[in-house]
Order: sequence, then C-alpha cells, then structure tokens
Amino acid sequence: MNDLSLEVLPGQVFGILGPNGSGKTTTLGIILDVIKKKRGEYRWFGEAPSAESRKRIGAILETPVFYPYLSAVDNLKIVALIKGTSESRIDAVLETVDLHERKQDAFKTYSLGMKQRLAIASALLADPDVMILDEPTNGLDPQGIAEIRQLIIQIAQQGKTIILASHLLDEVQKVCSHFAVLKKGKLIYSGSVDEALTGTDTVEVAADDMSLLEEAIQQFTHTESVRPEKQFLRVRLTDNQNSVDLNRFLIERGIIVSHLLQRTNSLEQQFLQILATDSNSALNSTVNQTATNHA
Amino acid sequence: MPRLIAIEWLKLKSYRPFWILMILYFVVLGLVLSGVGFFLEYLASTGGGNFNGLDPSMVPFYDFADIWQNLTYMATFLKIFLGFIVVISITNEYSYKTIRQHIIDGLTRWEFLASKLLIILTITVVNTLFVVVLGLILGSIYSPVKGLDVMFINSDFLLAYFLDVGVFLTFALLVGMLIKRTGFAIVLLALYTFFLEPIGALILSEVYDQYTFHQYFPIRAINNLIPVPFGKYAFQEVQDYVAVGDVVLVTAYAALFIFLSYRLLKSRDISG
Repeated sequence: MNDLSLEVLPGQVFGILGPNGSGKTTTLGIILDVIKKKRGEYRWFGEAPSAESRKRIGAILETPVFYPYLSAVDNLKIVALIKGTSESRIDAVLETVDLHERKQDAFKTYSLGMKQRLAIASALLADPDVMILDEPTNGLDPQGIAEIRQLIIQIAQQGKTIILASHLLDEVQKVCSHFAVLKKGKLIYSGSVDEALTGTDTVEVAADDMSLLEEAIQQFTHTESVRPEKQFLRVRLTDNQNSVDLNRFLIERGIIVSHLLQRTNSLEQQFLQILATDSNSALNSTVNQTATNHA
Repeated sequence: MPRLIAIEWLKLKSYRPFWILMILYFVVLGLVLSGVGFFLEYLASTGGGNFNGLDPSMVPFYDFADIWQNLTYMATFLKIFLGFIVVISITNEYSYKTIRQHIIDGLTRWEFLASKLLIILTITVVNTLFVVVLGLILGSIYSPVKGLDVMFINSDFLLAYFLDVGVFLTFALLVGMLIKRTGFAIVLLALYTFFLEPIGALILSEVYDQYTFHQYFPIRAINNLIPVPFGKYAFQEVQDYVAVGDVVLVTAYAALFIFLSYRLLKSRDISG
C-alpha cells in the first residue's frame, strides 16, 4: 500500500475497484486488524479501532470461511457467540439468503454460491452498521452473480453502509454509490459513481477566445458542467445531447471552435487500460465483457 | 470465559476426528496402565527380565503409596497423543482460516489464545481425573493395603502429572501456532520431543560436561517432574517425591510458552 487515504461515510455503498493484486484485500485486511500495517492509521465510527468496533461490522475477506464439518446453524452460532448477539436472528438471516432449507447440512456440502450466501448471512447476523464484502461474486455462475448483487442492493436499501471490493467495473457500477480505484496499492480515483461512470459522455471544446467560449457554453441549456483543462474545456452534457448539438449552438452564437471531440468517459478508459495491461487472462476476459456492456 | 468455552465446544462437539482420537487415547492409556500387572505376570511365567532373581509378579506396582508415581510415570509416555490433538485443534484454525474470521468478527487475539488454553486445561483435568479414578480402581483390586489413610499418600505425583501434561500441551500449542500446518507441526513436535532435544542435550553434555544446563531444556524439565520409579524394585535409590524446583521451572515454562504464543498472534498477519 502506498499513500492511500479513503473515507467512507454512513449510508454509502462504497466500491473499491482494482485488478487482482492492486491492494483491495490488503486494505480491508488492515482495517479489519488481521494484516499488519507499517504506518498510517484508520478509525471506525470515528473512534480508535478495537474488537468492539469489529463486532459492529459484518465482514468477509476473500473466500467464505466456515468449519466445513459444521452445519450452517452451528457455524452461525459460533459467530453469534463471538459477536455477543443472540442466536435468535440465525433463522431470519438464513431466510434472507435463502439457505433456510439446507441449514442443518454441513458447510462442505454446499455449492460455491451457497457458501457465498452463507458468508453474507454471517455478515448480516449481528445486524451490523457496516458490511464489508470482498469479491462476493467471485467464481459464481451468472445466475449466482445476479442473486448476490440483488441481495447486496436489497441490504443497501435498508440503509447499511457497505464496502465492496471488486475487480469488476460492471459490479461496482450496478451496486455502488461511491467508489475508489486502486492500482498497485495507489489510489487512482475516488468519487461518486453517478458522476464518474454513468451519465453522458464529455465533449472537449476549444476556441480562440476561451473565456467567450466558456461563457457561451454556460448559457447552453443542456450543459451540466464545464471544467477548464489545459488546452480545452471539458463539457458534460445532459438530455442525450452530443458534440453535434453543442457545435450547432456555438455556431448560432457565432463561435467557431478549433477543437471538438466527443470522449467516452475517461475514467472508464483508464480503468480498462489498467485491466488490459494486467497479464491475467481472466481479467482480459473481464475487459471484453465490460467493453461489451458499454458498447 | 463461559463464552469462550461455548465457542470451543461448538467447534469440537461435531468434530469426529477429535472424539475418535480422544477415545483411542483413553482406551490405550487404560490398557497400558492396567496391563502392567499382566505384563509382570507374563515376565514371571517366562522367567524373563532382570529382577535380581526376584519374582516379577511380586513387584508391588499397584500398591498404594507406590501406585501414583508408577502410574503417572507410565502415563506420561502417552501424552504425545494429546499433544497431537492440541496441535490439530490449533492448526485447523489456520487451515480453515477460521482464526482470521474470528478476529474479523470481533474476537481479540488474547480471547482466541485463552479459548485454546481453556481446551488444554479441560483436557488436562479430564486426563488427570482419568488416572485418579483408574488408580483408585487398580489399587483397590491389587493393593494389599487399602483405605482412605493410605490411598492418597504420594498423591503429589498427580499434581506433578497434571503439570507435566498441561505444560507439554501448552508447548504443543506454541508449536502448532508457529508452524500452522497440521502435518508439519505434528512431525516437528514428535521430532523435538523424542529426538532433537534429547540428542541435543546428549551432545551438549559431552561438550560441556561440567555444566548441567541441558537439565533445564523444556522437555527434560517436564519429564523431570516425575522421576523413574522402577529402580527401587531393584534396590536402587530413587527420588520418590516431587521436587519444588522442578515445579517452579515448568510453571515458568508454561508462562513462557503462553507469552510466546501471544507474541506470535500479535506480531504476525493472521492468515491461513
């Protein structure tokens, strides 16, 4: 990890996005007190971290972790004892993740999807303020992925703060309200999903008189935001308007542009590049999948 | 504390290997301790063994006053199997990664260690009680003298046995935590107990024959608690009491093992 600083506020569904090996699990391991940090600090609920603060968090790191020979119920009883909560919610959380019928079966007999669901049930058990989910859909089939995502969205709607680590842009986009992008332990980006990933593309515009140009664009009714960059203005448009519409408006105003370029979201491209440079073939297939989704 | 015991109980109650090993251990322990009488009679019938011409079946192995040192001394040879059980119970937590999940869920490192120490304490208490009950039964069958006034003479060896097994199991816990892998840890525990330390001590005693510091090595110190009792049946002088110095030494070792285990938990990343 290198100089990473993040803040997650109550009620956010916060995605930590990055390819494998980018430091997602390490970051989560540090704030859950199972990985030693060289320096730096973190706080939970505005206080110094302790075992008590961890009891208010429901977390899974990497793979679901349970005693293979114990049933779902016995495994959750152990969690309840550690967290100091009553066992009365066990049936309810198993119902939530739809494992009720198999609750007396040993964990080792479960499919991967059921194991992931039990992990989520375990994280939900103490009715925590914060949930931490690390690659919750890893290794699942499309149906399993859809189920888990639906479950996360459902939990988020109850107002819980969720921190979700994933290497899937698509997943973060579908589930999260805010997100951060990590690469090799460094923070590349942090912000809200709506701002960064959805909404319309941006348009780069330049003209001889930049201040006049900016003034004119501000008056364009479909302009959402204008941000000056080195050589041009970056304009975000709404209402499905594109560079053609903007150009038409500027010409009507008597402004001739010297540079006009429609850009698909730059962050997305940056993220795709991060993934593409990764040698992992699984990730490459993800790139293709993601690219298709946004084509 | 009841919470930690409840957690460990949930883990063990449906863990078949634990119960199978435990039952096997107690069956073997019971057979060994109660079989000495038959063995001595067998020796007598074949005329084997060097008993200075005495009848081996006349050896008062189970006589009260003698019985506790004899039984506990014999029983310590089997404690390695309890060591294996303790190793398995700790290395399982690493191979299942449940130790990490426990910390994430809100257990402190000390609580985790304490839950394992409670298991060791429970095993040691049950094990000592087993020897007590078996000793009382065997004594009441074979001992020519009986009665409350003689039954518990020399029973300080039971306390020594309790310490012997308890401290050894704490050592097994440390080895399990250090190695994390079940197979490796079991092999290393057995190797150290039976070969590395004894052979190392032998070599050191050759090189530094004027010093006796190898007496203070952990396994040797634990084994010194209950001295070999059988010499007296061949008219040799034996130590027939528990030395306070030995008790102090192994208690210090127990504290050291617990401290080192805790340091390991504190200083390392908790991973599988």
